Amino acid sequence: MISPQLEVRNLRKSYDDGRIEALRGVNLTINAGEYVAISGASGSGKSTLLHLLGGLDVATTGEVLFEGATLGTTIDLDEYRAHRIGFIFQAFYLLPTLNALENVQVPMLAMSDSSGTRAERAEALLRELGLEHRLHQYPNELSAGERQRVAIARALANHPSILLADEPTGNLDSVNSARIMEILTGIQKKRGMTLIIVTHENDIANAAPRHIRIRDGRIEP
Amino acid sequence: MPSQLSFAGFAWKNLWRRRLRTLLTLCGIGMAIGAFVALVGFSRSFESEWLRLYSSSGTDIAVVDKNFMNSSVDQGVVAKVRAVPLVEEATPLIFNIMDLTPEVNAIVFGWLDDTYEFNSLTFTSGGRFHNGKPEAIIGDTLARNLNKKVGDPLEMQGSTFTVVGIFHGGTALEAGAVILPLDQMQQLSSMQGKVSGVHVHLRPIPAGETQEHYFKRAQAAIEAVVPGLDAQLASDRATNNQFVDLAHAVAWGTSAIALFVGILGIANTMAMSVFERTREIGILRAIGWKSWRVMMLIETEATVLGFAGGILGIGAGWAGLRLLAYLPKTNIFVSATLTPAHLLESMAISVLSGIIAGAYPAWRGAHLSPIEALRHD
Repeated sequence: MISPQLEVRNLRKSYDDGRIEALRGVNLTINAGEYVAISGASGSGKSTLLHLLGGLDVATTGEVLFEGATLGTTIDLDEYRAHRIGFIFQAFYLLPTLNALENVQVPMLAMSDSSGTRAERAEALLRELGLEHRLHQYPNELSAGERQRVAIARALANHPSILLADEPTGNLDSVNSARIMEILTGIQKKRGMTLIIVTHENDIANAAPRHIRIRDGRIEP
Repeated sequence: MPSQLSFAGFAWKNLWRRRLRTLLTLCGIGMAIGAFVALVGFSRSFESEWLRLYSSSGTDIAVVDKNFMNSSVDQGVVAKVRAVPLVEEATPLIFNIMDLTPEVNAIVFGWLDDTYEFNSLTFTSGGRFHNGKPEAIIGDTLARNLNKKVGDPLEMQGSTFTVVGIFHGGTALEAGAVILPLDQMQQLSSMQGKVSGVHVHLRPIPAGETQEHYFKRAQAAIEAVVPGLDAQLASDRATNNQFVDLAHAVAWGTSAIALFVGILGIANTMAMSVFERTREIGILRAIGWKSWRVMMLIETEATVLGFAGGILGIGAGWAGLRLLAYLPKTNIFVSATLTPAHLLESMAISVLSGIIAGAYPAWRGAHLSPIEALRHD
């Protein structure tokens, strides 16, 4: 039997000495190459779940397993984020002092590739996302849609097997939202990657082959 | 070829985004290193001048009492030292520092008119003085400072001397000195029958004997005939005297304070930078940077500040030392020379200052929780 790529066991996350419970015992399995949408109201715990899946945060109790190995114990979280995960955020989170090409190279600085190889790969990714004419623009010179495309290129820089997107269209108009979703699903299919999107937009959530709803820190049946 | 991003280039871009703050920090560390270069350079130059003063005159051993600044030895010991078989020549001398004008002071020596120490001087005009006469010879730097030439009167402590010679000294200390006949200096210093010490030039080292062994033997032989006095190697006397120790202490003390302030400046800049870039540090952690790599980035930025501050400081310190070697008040003590070792040491201290100053901000930045950092406003 093939183990799931990601497995969540009785995951709980609380803040403020347990007074706030963001997740209340979540169990979940996600297979390699799946496209999953997680939706829920604000404060439902969907972003918290995504952060735990991506190794950005640690659970209060319970565990997250990647290919059968527990995050934070068997697998180092930094290594996991560096090699297995690509993050895409609602606010893009590009570094303002670097141009598009340089922003995409930042994750690769942690690798042993030569600077020439890094730059060539970054350029190829940006070309793939239709930004070949914006390589040397700084984030403040790019439109919101272009910034998110740079962020997607950056997320793909280290060949991750899982893309985690936290409200990737939250700061975009409808035209750009559709474009970004088209790009993300296209990448997921073309590369056979696992794509997990957190969204509060029903259209996006319902378009995913698998839709998980979270309410008050629990997955709705 | 697309533009390549290197680790160092990333660090530099982070520094350059706040140009004014970076430049002000560079000025701070630059001034600190400049003070170190100039002050420690001054004190080392002073020490080096003492060393050259002894070596250029051919003095191997100095016979003094144990107190360098106020050494006072009975002049009668000169004959006893001269009688030691290993001694080629022994000459008494007095030295002191005196104000010649409110702006100009000088080291004043009292010599015999036939001392071997004249061999290190080259007269540019005039010649030697004569024992028993109110005559003086002065170094060319001092002559320039005082605008004196041969035949001019020189007022010292209420007495008038005639300048009979101007010499080019081998060292800044000589070039800025006044040399009087020993008896005149004894009168001027109220040291009749006393001298500051006796300088000794030894006979050639016998074949088969090392210099170290020969000098030790000579020291022992001299101390045997003048009990209670020290026969010190000239090199030891030059480097371990109270003038030099005082100069070193002042230089290092002042430099340490300046360096402390400079380190605080870099630490403040890096702490501010880490605070302002908390979210960016969270982004770096989110995309897979390990905490040690974040630490390295911040430390690299601090080290770049230290390095650039070092270059700036060495330039400023060199200019400061040149100024000290030019001003009449100080040019008699130093020459504007910086050794490669001192420059290397200054750069190392500057870089080390950067590393020390960046340590805590780097540690703090590296240990931020990625998610907390991303949530930072």
